Amino acid sequence: MLSQIIGQTKEHPALIPFFLFIGAGGTGAAMYVLHLALFNPDISWDRKNNPEFWNKLGPNDQYKFYLVNVDYSKLKKGGPDF
Amino acid sequence: MAYPFQLGLQDATSPIMEELLHFHDHTLMIVFLISSLVLYIISLMLTTKLTHTSTMDAQEVETVWTILPAIILILIALPSLRILYMMDEINNPSLTVKTMGHQWYWSYEYTDYEDLNFDSYMIPTQELKPGELRLLEVDNRVVLPMEMTIRMLISSEDVLHSWAVPSLGLKTDAIPGRLNQTTLMATRPGLYYGQCSEICGSNHSFMPIVLEMVPLSYFETWSALMV
Repeated sequence: MLSQIIGQTKEHPALIPFFLFIGAGGTGAAMYVLHLALFNPDISWDRKNNPEFWNKLGPNDQYKFYLVNVDYSKLKKGGPDF
Repeated sequence: MAYPFQLGLQDATSPIMEELLHFHDHTLMIVFLISSLVLYIISLMLTTKLTHTSTMDAQEVETVWTILPAIILILIALPSLRILYMMDEINNPSLTVKTMGHQWYWSYEYTDYEDLNFDSYMIPTQELKPGELRLLEVDNRVVLPMEMTIRMLISSEDVLHSWAVPSLGLKTDAIPGRLNQTTLMATRPGLYYGQCSEICGSNHSFMPIVLEMVPLSYFETWSALMV
C-alpha cells in the first residue's frame, strides 16, 4: 500500500499534505488508544503479578491524558488507609 | 434565563460556561468566515462569462484546500479538548446535593449536615403571580451557596430525565439505576432556570429546575428553616 501511496503522490503532488494529515491523525488515534491500554488504571495486563491495580491508586499520580489546572503533586489522599 | 428573540447562549454564571462562551464565539467566527467565503465564491461563479470546462489537473489549489481546512480543524479541536478536560477536574466540593428525577418533578436531598428532602413541582400557568415566568417557576427552589464548589449527584426513580441549567453549562442525564456526578460553581447570586432535557413522558416540558444562589449565611438559615 505504501508503494501505491508513493506512486499516486508522484503523479499528483497535491496529495502529499493530504497523506501527511491522514497519517498524523491515524497515528495519533492509534497512539492514544495504546496510551489508554498501557496506562489506564482500569486495565490489567498481568493478572498474576499485578491483579487489581485499581486498588493501588495514589493521590499524586496522574492518570488522565492531559491536565489543565490541577496540580497533582499538591493533592492529598482523602480516604482512610487500608 | 432565556429571553425573547435570544440568539446566543445565556450569560455565564460559572467559569466553565465562560470558557464555553468564548469557545462558541471562536468557532462561530470560523463558521461565519467559511460560509461567507463560500457564498462569495458561488456568487462569483454564477456571474462570470469566463469559464473553463475541461480542467483536469489543479495541484496548487488542491494543496491549499487540503492544508487550510486541516489547520482550521486543529484550531477548533485544541480548545475544545482543553475545555473537555477542564470540565472533568478534581475540585474538592464543599457540599453534596442529590437530585432524583421523577415523572414529572425533581426531588432534592441535602444530607450532608441534616436530613433535608423536598420535591420541586412546576407552578401551573393559572397559579402564576404577576412577573413570574411561565413554565419555568417551581414551588420549592434549589437554594445553594454561591462561590462554592458543589457536587451534584443525579439519578432517576423511573425513566430517563436530564438535569440541565444552561447558564452554568450543566446538563447531566438522570438514568434509573445509575448515579451521575457533576460539579456546580456559581460566581454570582441569582436565579438560574433550566428544564428537563430528556424526553420522559407527557409532562416532560413541565418539570423545570430553578437554582437560587445565595450567600452562605442565607443558605444556612434557609436549610435550618426547611428541615
